[in-house]
Amino acid sequence: MNALFRTTHTLKGMAGMLGFPSFSRAAHRMEDIFDLMRKGRLRSTDSLVETLEAGMQALESGLDGLKRGRPEPEDYLQGLRRELGELEALARPVSGATQDLSALLDLPAESVKALSDYERTRITSALMDGLPIHGFAVCLDFATFDGRLRHFSDGLARQGEIISTLPWEVPEECEGLAFMILLAATALDLEALAAEPGEILEVRLLADAARVPPSLRAEIQAEPAPLPSVPATEAEVPVLPVPQESEILRLPAQRVEALEARLMSVAQLRDTVSGLLRGCEDDQTEAPLEILGEMESGLLDVQKALLQMRMVKVDTLFSRIEPMVRALSRDMGKPVRLTLQGGDLEMERGIVGRLGEPFLHLVRNALDHGLESPEERRAQGKAETGSLRINASQRGRTIRFDIRDDGRGFDLARMEEKGLAMGLLQPGLPPTTERLHRLALEPGFSTLDRASHISGRGVGMDVVRAEIEALGGEILLSSEWKRGTLVRLTLPLSRVVVGCLKVRSRGQTFGIPLANVLRVQVGRETYRGGDKVRVLGMEIPLESLQVCLGQGDPPEGQRAFVVLSQPGGTAGASLEIALGVDEVQGRAEILLRSLPELAQIPGIMGGSLQEEGILWVLDPEAVLGLAMDSLMRRVAHA
Amino acid sequence: MPERGVLLLARAAGRDLLLSASDLFEVLPASPITPLPGPLLGIAGVMLYQGEFLPVLAWEDLPGVDGTPVPPVAMAILKRRLALPLEFLSGALEPGQGGWQINPPGEDPWAPFLVSVCASEGPNLPFLDPDKLIDWLHRRRSER
Repeated sequence: MNALFRTTHTLKGMAGMLGFPSFSRAAHRMEDIFDLMRKGRLRSTDSLVETLEAGMQALESGLDGLKRGRPEPEDYLQGLRRELGELEALARPVSGATQDLSALLDLPAESVKALSDYERTRITSALMDGLPIHGFAVCLDFATFDGRLRHFSDGLARQGEIISTLPWEVPEECEGLAFMILLAATALDLEALAAEPGEILEVRLLADAARVPPSLRAEIQAEPAPLPSVPATEAEVPVLPVPQESEILRLPAQRVEALEARLMSVAQLRDTVSGLLRGCEDDQTEAPLEILGEMESGLLDVQKALLQMRMVKVDTLFSRIEPMVRALSRDMGKPVRLTLQGGDLEMERGIVGRLGEPFLHLVRNALDHGLESPEERRAQGKAETGSLRINASQRGRTIRFDIRDDGRGFDLARMEEKGLAMGLLQPGLPPTTERLHRLALEPGFSTLDRASHISGRGVGMDVVRAEIEALGGEILLSSEWKRGTLVRLTLPLSRVVVGCLKVRSRGQTFGIPLANVLRVQVGRETYRGGDKVRVLGMEIPLESLQVCLGQGDPPEGQRAFVVLSQPGGTAGASLEIALGVDEVQGRAEILLRSLPELAQIPGIMGGSLQEEGILWVLDPEAVLGLAMDSLMRRVAHA
Repeated sequence: MPERGVLLLARAAGRDLLLSASDLFEVLPASPITPLPGPLLGIAGVMLYQGEFLPVLAWEDLPGVDGTPVPPVAMAILKRRLALPLEFLSGALEPGQGGWQINPPGEDPWAPFLVSVCASEGPNLPFLDPDKLIDWLHRRRSER
C-alpha cells in the first residue's frame, strides 16, 4: 500500500511539473485514497478494490491519451466521483477529529473544498439525521440577481435548512450569474418557489442519507464519551473523540461574548496577583509566578478557542469570488487575471457572511465597467488580459480589502456633470477628487446611460457602502484615468491571534507578524542604520528598529536583522528593508490587543500580554515607512 | 457653574485639582504603567484595565509642569478611557453655587482644559474638564 501511495504521489508531482494539471489532480485524488488505506482509516472491501481498479484504469487510459497528444479532460475520474467521494466520507476520522460526510456530495472537488467547517458539520449532521442534501442550481439575470437570489433563499429556507450558496458554472446557453444552493430537506416543493422561466437550471440529490452505512451511524451514536485516562492535574489533557450529537451547538453570540468578558476579568485578576507578587521582596515568589505564567498560557488558549469559534478564513470569501469572476469574464469576453492575496487571514464568521453581496457588486463593477474590452486595451497599449487583484491585509484592529483593477478608472468629469445635474454638487464650488469619487456611493447616483445589462458604476455601490458602514467599516474609492481603480474596504477586527517573530530591541520585546518576515540573520558583524546588507543576492538597506520608533541610534550597533517585506507595493513590486534588532528570540502565537486611539504610536499595531510584560507588535507597513523616512534623512544629512 | 455633583479633590503634578465624580469610571490604587515603545506626547504609557490597554496621562507633558512626577497613589479612570495618575486624594466635596469663576485665569497654563475654578473652599481649585484635556492632546499632536 505504501508503494502504491508513493507511486501515485510521484505521478501527481510529475504530471504537475509537466503541465498536466487535470492528470495531477486525478492522481492526487487516488493518492488520498491510498493514504487513507495505508493509515488504516479505510477498510479494504470488494467495492473499494473495484473503485481503485477503475481509478487506476482511468489514469492509465488518461496517460495513454496524453502520449497520443489528446487534450486533457477536465476530470479523469468524473465517472467515479460519487464512489470516491463515498470512500473519503466514510473513512474513519483521525483520532480527535470528527466525521465529515461532505465528500458524499455529488459535487466537483473544488466546490466541496469551498465549504466552510461549519457547513461541513451541518451536512454531516443532516445526513446522520437521515436528511438528504439537495442541490438547487439557478441562473439569475445580472440586473436582478441579488433580489432573486434572496427570493429563492427565503423560499427554500421555508422548506429546510440552507447549508451553503455556492457560485456555479453558467451554462453556455445562459446569461447571468449562477448559484448552487445546498439544502437539507426531506422534500422540495418547487412550485412554491415561483421561479421565472429559465431561472432554475437543475435540482438534484447531492447526497442521499440512505448511503450512510447504518453501521457508521450506529457506531457514532453509540460511541460513549471516553473518560480522561490521565489525572486532571496533568498539564496536557488529550483531545478526546466527542459523541456526534454533542458536536453541533448553535449558541447565541451574546453567550460567547459574556464568556469573553468574564475571561477578561479573570485575566485582570491574574494581572493584579502578578503585580502584588512582583511587589513582594522575599524570594518565595518564583514558584507562584511560574504558576501564573502557566495560568496566562491557559487563559490564552481559552481566549484563542473562543476567538476561533467566531472565525473563518478570508479564503471562504475568496473561494466564492473566483468562479464568479470566471463566469463574468467568459460572458463579457474579457480575459481577466485574478490575484487573491491574504486568504489565510481570519475574520469573524458573521462579517465574512455579510461581505458576500458587497463583493459581488464590486467584482461585477470592476469587470463590466472597470476593465476595457481586449480590443480597447490593445489600442491603449495594455495587455489584453485585464488584472483584478483582491488583497486582504491586517492593519492593527482592522482588515483591509484592496480591490484593484487596471481598467479605465472613473471618468471624473462625467461624474461631476452628473453630480451637478442631480444636485449632489454645488455649482461654482469645485469638488475635490475624493468628493467626486464618493459620488459613486450616493444612493440614487445614476449612470443609466452607461449602465449595461450587468452593472453601472455607482449602481449598487450605495448598497456596498451601506453594508460596509453597517459593519463599522469604511469604503474609499480612488482611480486614475485609463490606469485603474482601487476600492478599499476597511473593516474593524476584534482581537486577533497573530503568528509573530519575537525580537528584542532596547530592552523591550517586539513581535513582527510572520507574514512580513522574509529572512532573519544573526551574525558576528555589527550592523548600523544606513548600512547595506546582502541578502539572497540583493542589497537591502538597513535601519535600526530603535531609530524607527524614535529611540535614537544604538551606540554599539546591532548584531541581528530581520528583512521585512511589504508585498504588492508600488506597481506590484515588493518593498524590503532590513530592520536592525538586538536579539531574535523565535516565533510565537500571540493574542493581539489593539491600542486605544490615544495611545497609538507610529509603527505599533498593538500589544500582547506576556508573563515578562507587554510584547509590542509592529505594524510592518508603518515600520517600513518609518525606516524609509529615516534612511532618506540619513542620505540628506550625509 | 454647570451641574457637576460630587467633586473629587486630588493632587496631581504638584497641583490640587477637582475632578467631577460623574466624569470618573472609578478610582483604583496605583497600577504599574508600561511605557510605550516610542515617544507620544501626553501619554506616559499604558496600564491594564479590564483586560484592555488604557493610556495613562503624562502630567509632565502638560504646560507649566516641571520636574519628575511623584509616584502616584491612585489612578482615576476617566470615562473617556484615559487614566490620570494621582499623587494624593484629599476627599470629596459638594460645593454650592457660589464662589465659581466660569473662566479660569488666563495666565494659568492649564487654562485650555480647565472649565472653571472653585474659590468657595479656601484657595482656588482648578476644575479639570476631561473632554477639553483630550481635545488639547489631540490638538497638540496634530500641530506636531
